[in-house]
Amino acid sequence: MPPPDLRRKSALAAQFAGARANPGPAAVATVAGLINGSTMVAGASAIAWATDHLVVPALAGAHVPARAWWLSASFILGVSAIRWCTILVRGVSTGTVQYRAQAQTRRAVVRRFLDLHPDWHRERPAGKLLAHAGGDVDALWSPTQFAYFAAGMVFMLVLALTELFARAFALGLTGVALVVLVLGLNVTYQRLLAPRARDAQAARGVVSAVAHESIQGGPVVRGLGLTAVEDERFAPGVERLRAADVRLASVSSVFDPLLELLPTAAVLVVLGLGAPRVQQGSLSVGDLVGVVYLLITIAIPLNVISRFLSMLPMAAAGRERVHGVLGSADVVPDGDLDLGSSGPMRVELRGAGVSRHGRRIVADLDLVLEPGTITVVVGAVGSGKTTLLDLAGGQTHADSGVVLLDGTDVRALRRDAVPARVATVSQSPFLFAESIRDNLALGGSFSDEQLWRALRLAAADEIVRGLPDGLGTVVGERGATLSGGQRQRVCLARALLREPRLLVLDDVTSALDARVEQQVLAAIRDLGPERPTILISTGRPAALSIADHVVVLRGGRIVPAESAEEPRAAAGIEESSGVR
Amino acid sequence: MSAELLADLSGIGPRRLIATAVRVSPQLRQGLGLTVVLALLAGAGRIIAPLTVQHVIDSGVAPATVGPAVVTGAAAVVLAGVSSVLLNRRLQGRVEAALAGLRRDGLRRVHDMAAPTADRIPSADLVTRLTGDLDQVTTFLQGGGVQFLTNAAQLLVATGILLVYGWQLALPVLLVTAVLVAVMTRTQRVVARRFDTARRDLSALQSVVAESVVGGPVIRSTGTRARTGAKLDAAVDRSRDSLIATQVPLHANASLGEPAISAMTVIVLLGGVWWGQLSSGQVVAAVFLVTFFVRPLQFVVQSLGEAQNALTGWRRALELVTTPGSVDADGRPLPAGPVGVRLDRVSARYADGPRVLHDVSLRIAPGEHVAVVGRTGSGKSTFAKLLTRRLPPAAGTILLSGIALDELGDLGGRVVIVPQDPFLFDGTIAHNIRLGAPGATDADAARILGQLGLHDWQATLPDGLSTPVGVGGERLSIGERQLVALARTALADPDLVIFDEATSGLDPATDAAVQRALTSLTRGRTTISIAHRLSLAEVADRVLVFDEGRLVQSGPHRALVGQPGPYAALAAAWSDSNNLSS
Repeated sequence: MPPPDLRRKSALAAQFAGARANPGPAAVATVAGLINGSTMVAGASAIAWATDHLVVPALAGAHVPARAWWLSASFILGVSAIRWCTILVRGVSTGTVQYRAQAQTRRAVVRRFLDLHPDWHRERPAGKLLAHAGGDVDALWSPTQFAYFAAGMVFMLVLALTELFARAFALGLTGVALVVLVLGLNVTYQRLLAPRARDAQAARGVVSAVAHESIQGGPVVRGLGLTAVEDERFAPGVERLRAADVRLASVSSVFDPLLELLPTAAVLVVLGLGAPRVQQGSLSVGDLVGVVYLLITIAIPLNVISRFLSMLPMAAAGRERVHGVLGSADVVPDGDLDLGSSGPMRVELRGAGVSRHGRRIVADLDLVLEPGTITVVVGAVGSGKTTLLDLAGGQTHADSGVVLLDGTDVRALRRDAVPARVATVSQSPFLFAESIRDNLALGGSFSDEQLWRALRLAAADEIVRGLPDGLGTVVGERGATLSGGQRQRVCLARALLREPRLLVLDDVTSALDARVEQQVLAAIRDLGPERPTILISTGRPAALSIADHVVVLRGGRIVPAESAEEPRAAAGIEESSGVR
Repeated sequence: MSAELLADLSGIGPRRLIATAVRVSPQLRQGLGLTVVLALLAGAGRIIAPLTVQHVIDSGVAPATVGPAVVTGAAAVVLAGVSSVLLNRRLQGRVEAALAGLRRDGLRRVHDMAAPTADRIPSADLVTRLTGDLDQVTTFLQGGGVQFLTNAAQLLVATGILLVYGWQLALPVLLVTAVLVAVMTRTQRVVARRFDTARRDLSALQSVVAESVVGGPVIRSTGTRARTGAKLDAAVDRSRDSLIATQVPLHANASLGEPAISAMTVIVLLGGVWWGQLSSGQVVAAVFLVTFFVRPLQFVVQSLGEAQNALTGWRRALELVTTPGSVDADGRPLPAGPVGVRLDRVSARYADGPRVLHDVSLRIAPGEHVAVVGRTGSGKSTFAKLLTRRLPPAAGTILLSGIALDELGDLGGRVVIVPQDPFLFDGTIAHNIRLGAPGATDADAARILGQLGLHDWQATLPDGLSTPVGVGGERLSIGERQLVALARTALADPDLVIFDEATSGLDPATDAAVQRALTSLTRGRTTISIAHRLSLAEVADRVLVFDEGRLVQSGPHRALVGQPGPYAALAAAWSDSNNLSS
């Protein structure tokens, strides 16, 4: 089902969009709401009828026929039975609309996260994205819970006012005055609430972001004894949220009672206006009672309509944020060219450069990776190794120059072309909170034999064999139950399993001990005749042993290797050898 | 799984929950008496309408009595209004202050709690307890929570007036109420159960969303958007279904007020006339009172769902806050000066997994520099986790400076581990280094970088120390993050420092330079380096060799390298890897 269309800049329009996306339950809720509204007017008439035909004559000593008793009881009970049904039906179908629309929007938002560009993600803390998918979507659809109730109540107001005018013009005017006053107050109320609601929602985002970061950095906080520092950092956001919520409350604490008590005030006015008319005989006591009953009941619709309206500002703030995600055009580019399916890939960087936040990360990179070769990138910390790898592997796009895979500009490729042919393993190995099998296959169909072969190549077979359920073992959140080195090898196995045409390894052997590192590098070197083109960055010299070419990076630029010793020097081998 | 790690309050009734809430946030109790009086005034003021109607009808609708009655009514309405405003302000102010306190206590508790607990609870779940769960309380308050209170007061006042009219009318009304409340509380239990399920599913959804956000790069590079999308959809749909499942009992419950109100109306109307002891004004007023009695009851019931939500949210925050902290406030302090380490027959395992460390006994003298080596998976990192209390030993005892680890108080800043993948806070490099020591300045940060020989690296940064590191250190490479963490730790000046492959992301030249600097910086404190390079083992006073979870060799590099055994084999492999390319 398509998600509700949220382009129109109003929370009310969003409610209609939610109804259009869920027409069945929305229609049922609307009908139930309208019937419910009319039973409220009918209920007041029942009381009025019983007063005139039963209460007043009987207590005045007159004879009342049995029919009047029965009619009074069944009139009141019948209307009530209908209302009972509509409350239940309206409630359940309203909930269905609300939670379906919520789920549809949430699906759209979280799926959009997957489509948005890494640069977009880099600018936004995870806590903020969680708030968009959670609280903001909730806020957007929270008015729905009162929407159909409120619609029925608007209908009820129309019926009630018609009824009042039918009794006496002055009573009708009192009713209109009441409704106009209440709605006028509401408009003012909303105007005051809207900016405060936005503040509160923004403060919520801040609190969530700080909490998320602080909890993620828990080990650092604990290790350095920063609990008090973190509390101090958290406090301003919490205080801002508290103040914003109290500011919201200070408005509602005046308007809510005002709105609630206005109907009682109207009853007093009606008594004042109605008494002379009863005296003159133009109005019966029952009529007056019916009108009072109606006005007292009007408190409910006005209250519901107010609550519906009062949720709109928060919903509008939520809509803005949600739409900010859904409407963002910063998606991963998607061309229409594909890459061939077999043989090692040819990669060419022509004058490629990347800057971020005014920081030039790499510049003027000219590099060719011939098919089937192994290229090793060395360089000091901060020299741009990872960025070069991201460029060559099609993970990042160049600001200047081009990157060609098999002669095709990366930006012209279909979005799925690169993942299908290129496998990368990053410095920070990430595993899903799933079984090892699922983490390797990621939904693809691979036999256990293939999985074990990949694990063997990555020297991870022993690790998996040692786990309680082997391939079926579920690793913790982000693979927390494995050590860094173990995660790295499982991630490497995941890459090798896909038999890529280009394999990009970003310092993946850093957490391995020398013997395992040797084993892994040998396995990569001996991948066979179908060996992919391989690009490795490393801070350690071991990988140089399998390199066909060595690239030295310094300050984001490739420096020519002046002598055979240059790469070794850049990799710092002199510094760390001579051990024996 | 997560709920069992925290204090579990899900079994206790609302009364004890509220008692716990008041204990945690004492400001809720202050001035409770005045709050109750205000609520009663606000509730009573609303009932003035039916009483005025009674008076007017019984006076035969004579204009002479109508005037004063209307004026009295108007005064009562004003009084009720003012009381409501005051009540609203008091209540919301108090509760928001309590919520703010809970948020801060909660975060503090996350950092105080036993590290293994914190490691095992999904971080999104903890964040939800401090944010979304408590926001439910605000939502409830702003969406009619205070009316909840005034309505309850109105209920009381209406009952009182009905009793004054006559017990003959009040009794059947109260009987119907009793039946209503009995049925409602039963349904309410179903509602609560279903909301609890919904809340759990929402929390699980948060975890899945967090995973998809954090794992974004992997998802993109493996082209598995569809797979993650399906997982997200399943979690979203599941929480949607469990939310919708709350709706039938919730609204069935809410609608029960309707048959109750009509039954009471008919009883009062027909019964009042049949009984014949009341005036027609009193019968009509009684009919209105039924409305004034059941409407608040209905409102209270209707809001019960939201109240339940709010209470569940509050409970989840309280569960976090009332979880005992691992840092024993009465714990003994670590004696000043370098730390001695002693392990006696220590074994370790992760959760219910197999033992990964067997019967390890060792001593490290105060001020000693020890390197720990071994193959991947030999138990090196487990050893580090034991010393930093991130993993409790399965057997045996660990002593720091002669005091058992579980008797020690806060070790923050004294025992510090520098991991392979250090976490940085979103801020500048200087900001992250300064965290090492309270009150440190940017100059201190620059000085420490100088002492570590990192001026060259600093010069490559676009804004020097003011360069922002990005979320989680995103904008820096792993190696750069490690440098910041090293500088941060050097500034912290701990008495026991554990480097867990803390420089693995550095190129060998930088690594060697940093190591040299660290050696001079760590002089005078106990240092444990979990080594990934032989050069680290060479400079240590002593090398501990782990193999398959056992301590197999211990001695200085020069002695061990000559003996046949695991260390000599490791050393050979290291040297080979350095010479292969020549």
